[in-house]
Amino acid sequence: MQYLLQLLISGLAIGAIYGLIAMGFAVIYKSTGLVNFAQGEMTMITAYIAWTISTTVSGNVFVVAIGAVLAAVLLGLIIERVVMRPMLGEPVFATVMVTIGLAVILRSAINFIWDAYPHGLDIGMGRGIVHLGGIGVRTGQIGVIATLLALLAAIWAFFRYSKIGVAMRAVAADDRTALLMGISAIRVHALAWAASSVIAGIGGVFFALSYDLSPAMFQLGLKAFPATILGGLDAVLGSGLGGLLIGITENLAGGYIGSDMKEITGFAMIIVVLMIRPFGIFGERDIERV
Amino acid sequence: MRTGDYKQSYGELVALVDSPPVWLWSAVLVLALIVAPHLLNSYALSFLTIILITVTGALGLNVLTGYTGLISLGHVGFLVTGAYAYAILVSKYHMHPLIGFLGAGVVPAIASLIVGAPSLRLKGLYLAITTLAFSFIINSVILEMRWLTNGARGLQVQRPEMFGISFDSDAAFTYLCLGVAVLTLFATLNIRRSRVGRAFVAIRDNDTAARVMGINLHATKLVAFATCAFITGIAGALYGIYLSFVSVEGFPFLLSIEALAILIVGGLGSALGAVLGTILIVLLPEATRLVFSLLSSQMDAMLTTGAQELKSMLYGLVIILFLRFQPRGLVGAWHDIKRAWVHWPLRY
Repeated sequence: MQYLLQLLISGLAIGAIYGLIAMGFAVIYKSTGLVNFAQGEMTMITAYIAWTISTTVSGNVFVVAIGAVLAAVLLGLIIERVVMRPMLGEPVFATVMVTIGLAVILRSAINFIWDAYPHGLDIGMGRGIVHLGGIGVRTGQIGVIATLLALLAAIWAFFRYSKIGVAMRAVAADDRTALLMGISAIRVHALAWAASSVIAGIGGVFFALSYDLSPAMFQLGLKAFPATILGGLDAVLGSGLGGLLIGITENLAGGYIGSDMKEITGFAMIIVVLMIRPFGIFGERDIERV
Repeated sequence: MRTGDYKQSYGELVALVDSPPVWLWSAVLVLALIVAPHLLNSYALSFLTIILITVTGALGLNVLTGYTGLISLGHVGFLVTGAYAYAILVSKYHMHPLIGFLGAGVVPAIASLIVGAPSLRLKGLYLAITTLAFSFIINSVILEMRWLTNGARGLQVQRPEMFGISFDSDAAFTYLCLGVAVLTLFATLNIRRSRVGRAFVAIRDNDTAARVMGINLHATKLVAFATCAFITGIAGALYGIYLSFVSVEGFPFLLSIEALAILIVGGLGSALGAVLGTILIVLLPEATRLVFSLLSSQMDAMLTTGAQELKSMLYGLVIILFLRFQPRGLVGAWHDIKRAWVHWPLRY
């Protein structure tokens, strides 16, 4: 029982990180219709920038948090402006391939800019242990679950009530009609890239807090894929919850079947989901009209 | 005056080549490749061998990505499956190398049916995601099945001996790769002009229209995927023999990206493109290193330590730049040059 609870809680914590990155995928898919294969790499870069701020400028929590968010916004905007905007109107195949190329470039850039050794992000919190009914939980783990829940609520409200959120949904639903209504698709795309970079970046920073930074961190992106597929590629909130489900399943499989299973549970789930409900639990079924 | 290249019958339209000189130049090229192993030093010969193996793999992916328009991010998964199938059949169970090559094709093809069946029912990018997943799952499977694959220790592979010919020397092995590459080239060119090949292209261009014409989308996509996996598996077996050692580490994920880069640089859907793209992509890291070493020895030192990173960055950059500025690839550039040559000084 103790073991099960322990697995569940650490599964929730890592699942929250997958959920954040999966929400990053979903935000871009929802507003631009493409799968951003560089999401994991963008997450990693934000985490590395946070680490650089903590070692060179100040280890203060607020400085690191604000710095990381600003860096993530900038990263998203730069990628959108320099790499993605020129591809506007090109076939989906070409734009998706561009994100794959971008992923490879960012991944090796990490090795050139920083180094290949693991680093711990130390901002004086997140590694302490709290005891909840006899189970030790890291404060960082509680923090990331709380952040995910708060962001889920905030994003739900944003898409439901704010004017920009409604505009983003309009572009996703029918970009031509949205253009006719006076919505700037370019601005919506830029906003989506920035938002996706920030949401996923928060996940990355939390990962660095609980575990370690290393150039292999881009694999977080691969592990968040199953979460987006499970929740629905076009469902931002669903992807967040999908992350929690994937995290728990992965941890249970790792704890009870074998540690090798942990690595591939998510991928195996993708295949199962695609067989049963390809548009995900919360996604919208694609209806094709000829 | 000749004003254009007009096809007047159906036979001309599906002919393998549209002008006799192409046969002549192809024969010259094959002759040159037959003579080359005796003239080149072993360093240059290793590049030639790698190019021939890579062409085989790239032609395999071309059937899937170029003809049918589906992205596979797990190309390396089929390479490694093929290499292991060959190594297990030939090194472990001492079967005839031909059976080994057959197995190297069939086993990945079966794997592709398992991966493809659920994901090819759907439109869009799902195949890219499932193949990506496959390439990670297959590594875990290989490491787990120690009784068959030796786990992380890998398998030794000898150069084969078939029909009394030993392919032990580097030159002989290059001939083997040349033979396989030429066969694959003819096979994919002929698939392209057959009924099923036209169905592939129809699916790529407009899948709704293809369906209306009576093409079974799911089955045809599966055929394309299995063909791709079959050819790729054989390329993987050759690569395993070339490395003389098959292990999971010998097949890094970067190979999947490399294969896609080759197709984009060469020109999607064109066999000539796959060949040109392979030559450029295989020689690009080497050429870059050469340029940098001429510039300064300090940069050279940095690049030898980060050779793998340099390679990935180059591939990524090449993919993005080609998609942005020359989406039809080297083949498109070549067609433009030919047209300019015929029509100059007129524009068309």
